[in-house]
Amino acid sequence: MRTVLTVSGIVVGVAMILVLLSLAAGTSAQTGGLLRNVIGSEITVVNSTTPTFPGGGFNFTRTGGGGGGFGGGGFGGFFGAGNTINESLVDSIENMSGVFVASPALTTSGYVDGDSVFLYGIDPGTYSQAASNLTLTSGSDLSSTGQIMLNSVTAANLGVKVGSQVTVGANSTGGAKYTVVGIYSSGSTFGPLDRSGYMELSDAQNISGREGLVTEIYVKATDSTLVNQIASDIDTISGVTANVASGIAGSATTLTNTMTTFFIVIGLVALLAGAFGVINTMMMSIGERTREIGTLRAIGATKRQVLKMFLSEAFLIGLIGATVGVFIGVVVSFALPSLTGAAASSGARGLGGFIPGKLLPTLTSFNLVLSFALGSLVGIAAGVYPALRASRMDPVEALRHV
Amino acid sequence: MSEAMVRTVDLQRRYKRGKFPVPALNGVNLTVGKGEILGIIGPSGSGKTTLLNLIGGLDRPTKGTVQVDGVELDKLSDAELTAYRLRKVGFVFQFYNLIPTLSSVENVELPMALAKLPAAEQRERALNLLEAVGLEARADHMPDELSGGEQQRVAVARALANHPSVVLADEPTGDLDSKSAKKLMEVMKSLRKEEHATFVLVTHDPIVVAECNRVCAVRDGRITRESRIGEDGRILDGSRFVMDALF
Repeated sequence: MRTVLTVSGIVVGVAMILVLLSLAAGTSAQTGGLLRNVIGSEITVVNSTTPTFPGGGFNFTRTGGGGGGFGGGGFGGFFGAGNTINESLVDSIENMSGVFVASPALTTSGYVDGDSVFLYGIDPGTYSQAASNLTLTSGSDLSSTGQIMLNSVTAANLGVKVGSQVTVGANSTGGAKYTVVGIYSSGSTFGPLDRSGYMELSDAQNISGREGLVTEIYVKATDSTLVNQIASDIDTISGVTANVASGIAGSATTLTNTMTTFFIVIGLVALLAGAFGVINTMMMSIGERTREIGTLRAIGATKRQVLKMFLSEAFLIGLIGATVGVFIGVVVSFALPSLTGAAASSGARGLGGFIPGKLLPTLTSFNLVLSFALGSLVGIAAGVYPALRASRMDPVEALRHV
Repeated sequence: MSEAMVRTVDLQRRYKRGKFPVPALNGVNLTVGKGEILGIIGPSGSGKTTLLNLIGGLDRPTKGTVQVDGVELDKLSDAELTAYRLRKVGFVFQFYNLIPTLSSVENVELPMALAKLPAAEQRERALNLLEAVGLEARADHMPDELSGGEQQRVAVARALANHPSVVLADEPTGDLDSKSAKKLMEVMKSLRKEEHATFVLVTHDPIVVAECNRVCAVRDGRITRESRIGEDGRILDGSRFVMDALF
């Protein structure tokens, strides 16, 4: 019974360490992902001759979601200007170290059923990762060429809905037939943006006659701390400029660092608390057995024999405790998501969809090994001092102990 | 009983309590013959347990000497004293002091395991001893499954495991009812014959005294009187003093 209690002391300590470490790792990863989604693209690569707007205070939101060209991004296409860059740069940027994704976009102007609109040619596969999601009010994302998503205002003006055929071209008279697959709301009060549509990059290139050219490349880093490094790497490519959403990236970096520190501290506190629990149970267990130790010494056990007995016992207890503790820690870590409520991310798109409603602990092998090693080591180490004290006890005193 | 198994000469022991040394033994000269059962009686605090601890090599005298089976204990190092306790002494405690996580037979094997005897030999000797104390059926029971009297008989078997020269018992019946106490003394007496062991028993119990060959009364750290006990358990001389010491 006493041994069971001692073992449970270690079990609780180890399980707590493991669960907290997993939570820290999971939340840290979640935070990273969350931040990546919130801040939209971190770097916008544009032709170096493209004029840029100052970012400060000008909260230009291209889409209702995260905001593609957030603060200081390139506005090249806004003017329909010819400041393009070669599409092949996307691959070379994507191959740079630290780059999570690079997504090309061509901003141009054109006519939908004779109405002048801004046309954004994007790569649907990477755009949502690099820039942001559109907030669809109906329909779906682009899935192939020949499709167009329209702003809700534009759609209303034209009197079209999902499934309608529209004529899209570079001028008000000609053009090709496109199917409206989605309607999105811009959430913007910036007038001209209400008149916009999204289509596949190749369609936009066809319409504007700029095959193989793009006006912006949106870049996301694997880690927001790498943004500045990537930007300066991109700047070494001639003809382009990397505009960093500096304020956002900066605070994101700070936030990530703060979170990391926070979780390291929580982990350390967990380790410390667990270790003290183990030491405490070990000390109590040996303290309670003083008379047993006195008996052993009286009937002729050497100090070394007593030490060995208690150390091997501590070792065994530490090992069993750590094993069971890791097991329970794993079970709890897996159980936590379902215990902390249903997923909040289903259905909703855009910013809201990225705020997780539940805890998602991440079990890393490092944390598993760390908590196991710590549990067993602390168990043994915690046994050393009491065992030493036990072996050195005056047998007469120890026997008198009740 | 001609040969001396235990001999103490002017044995003194002082403890430090705070600043003042408190005498526990004030020059005890005692001889215990081979195969004898000696009872030591006296009021609490008279130094009985101290005397037992000194003979058992658990404690060292402030002055004087202890000789057991020809060995002068004060000439032994701590390690040698531990070996002496293992091979020459058997201890029986008032509260049995069995190891709670070991079964009866394992408790009896313990001193032999500490002496690194072959496992088969340990088991054989342990089972023989359990049989001798009438507990062969309880060999695999844990201490908490045994009555106090049974536990104490296991403790006696454990004390005899390594064929000790002397068995030292501190109030062996102090926690037992009279029936268990009588049974225990029967066992001790038969083992004395079989094992040729010498017993020194500290006691307050008339049942124990009746089974001794001799009793010594200790008061204020000295042996003040001794009496021989007859085969029938009657006090042969100084009965009045023995009675005073006991009751």
